[in-house]
Amino acid sequence: MRFWRIVLYGLMALVAAGFIFPVVLMFLTSFKPEAEVLNPASAFPKNWTVQNYTNVLAWAEEAPFSRWLLNSVFTSSTVTLLVLGFSSMAAYAITRLNVPGGRTFLSVVIASMMVPGQLFLVPVYFILSRLHWLDTPAALIVPATAGGFGVFMLSQFMRAVPVAIEEAALMDGCSSAGVFLNVTVPLCAPALATLGIFTFIGSWNDYVSPLVYMDSVRNYTLPVGIALYQASYYTEYGRTLATSALATTPLLLMFLIFQRQIVESMASTGLKD
Amino acid sequence: MNYHTRRRLTGFVFLAPYFLSFCCFLLLPILVAAGLAFMRFDLTAKNSIQLVGVQNFRELMKDSYFAQALLATCRYAILMVPSLIISAFAIALGLNSMSRGRDLMRALIYLPGMFTIAVTAILWQWFYNLEFGLFNFLLKHLGSAPVSWLSDKRLAMPSIVVMALWWTAGGASVVLLTALQQIPRMYIEAAALDGANAGQLFWRITLPLLRPVLFFVVVTNTIGAFQMFPQASLLTQGGPLLSTRGVVQYMYETAFNNYRLGYAASISWALTLVIVVFISAQFFAFRRIAD
Repeated sequence: MRFWRIVLYGLMALVAAGFIFPVVLMFLTSFKPEAEVLNPASAFPKNWTVQNYTNVLAWAEEAPFSRWLLNSVFTSSTVTLLVLGFSSMAAYAITRLNVPGGRTFLSVVIASMMVPGQLFLVPVYFILSRLHWLDTPAALIVPATAGGFGVFMLSQFMRAVPVAIEEAALMDGCSSAGVFLNVTVPLCAPALATLGIFTFIGSWNDYVSPLVYMDSVRNYTLPVGIALYQASYYTEYGRTLATSALATTPLLLMFLIFQRQIVESMASTGLKD
Repeated sequence: MNYHTRRRLTGFVFLAPYFLSFCCFLLLPILVAAGLAFMRFDLTAKNSIQLVGVQNFRELMKDSYFAQALLATCRYAILMVPSLIISAFAIALGLNSMSRGRDLMRALIYLPGMFTIAVTAILWQWFYNLEFGLFNFLLKHLGSAPVSWLSDKRLAMPSIVVMALWWTAGGASVVLLTALQQIPRMYIEAAALDGANAGQLFWRITLPLLRPVLFFVVVTNTIGAFQMFPQASLLTQGGPLLSTRGVVQYMYETAFNNYRLGYAASISWALTLVIVVFISAQFFAFRRIAD
């Protein structure tokens, strides 16, 4: 029995190491000078250097890393705020204000979640071109608010929250909008936090939409930017690994802080990509 | 205005922003995609929009590039989905029998899922590099010749699958782990009291109880696998000799490199049909296992 426990823990440690080793190696190698990257004698740098990072952060017209970072921060935060706002208002209208046709709409929304995402690339490109939104931040922000997951998830959550508190506030003369802002939203805080984290990560990591809807290099977000960077500097792994490390660090920090919430809500929603 | 009309009106106002966004960027695109599939719409040609009926689909039947892309997508899905389910299940079972350090392990295994595919592909392209990649470095120390992981026709697709497993297995195993933890202990204890061995416990108790979750994980990952695109376009650019170029990459190139939006839309619908067929097959397979 004891023997099997040791085998189990040994195996699981190996598995976890396999998952984490590439990440560690990326960070370590990004601090190596180019010569050491090409002839790896050890996983650890012999001569630590931040040269790769200064090269990446130095402003370059063909690879404006800091601009991509700004674009990513702006796009992901705006998408997150809009998704939280739109979805919570819609869920409130459906579950609390009993808007006519609300239930039917919700089932249409849920059904739409089954449509494979690739089907939307061409028609959304077409619509954005008609709106003259291609290559503007709106192209990455507005279509991203249409997904049904937030409305679905918040409607489920609101249904489980007792109405009594909201009814009491209504009795006391609070308006529907007031109840929504002062009672419903605070009550739904855990669900909103989960939705917010997932939306932010999804938007931050989205590679295909900026690839299709953005044209000028300065309007790219990080994923497309670093893919371009890699294509132009592909022999200089020190540099490309430094861009990767920089692009990943904000999410890793978020993961450190919200680890439990991210992993557990992932488990209960099963949502990914 | 009485109370109910006012409440109703407020309801419409609250629903309006999402409703608009949903109509413009979810419903309308499906209609546009349906229309485009029956049109010739080339951004480069003059007189660019023409209704051509089913001509796009007729072309698709004869298009050997499409057939090749569909083959690559199917190869990817057939390699990816079973290996993902088996490895995620094995990891979940391992985590479930740990009494200490489970949360830490779970977080470490989940971590790669936080990466964008662009970073994931950069990392793995580096590992697979012919001259100074990690794998050939290890092979060299074992005394073997270097292997061209990404430009060998037989190895390119499995190499993409290994990267994709690293990227997604954590998420799937977290879902399965949660389902495992929700199995009431008394079922297992009762069966064990009746003398069931470990194999019987797994096949007769654990697996049947996990069926709904397993079905969910299989279906979502099948849908995802059939839409494989940046995994290959970033790691191998679809090569060698287009052998890893999947349908979505072909659709992307048709639309945005060759500017044939109508034909690209028909490719999208064809892939959607293939996905629906596969999912229905899985649905009936799971139902049969249940009976």
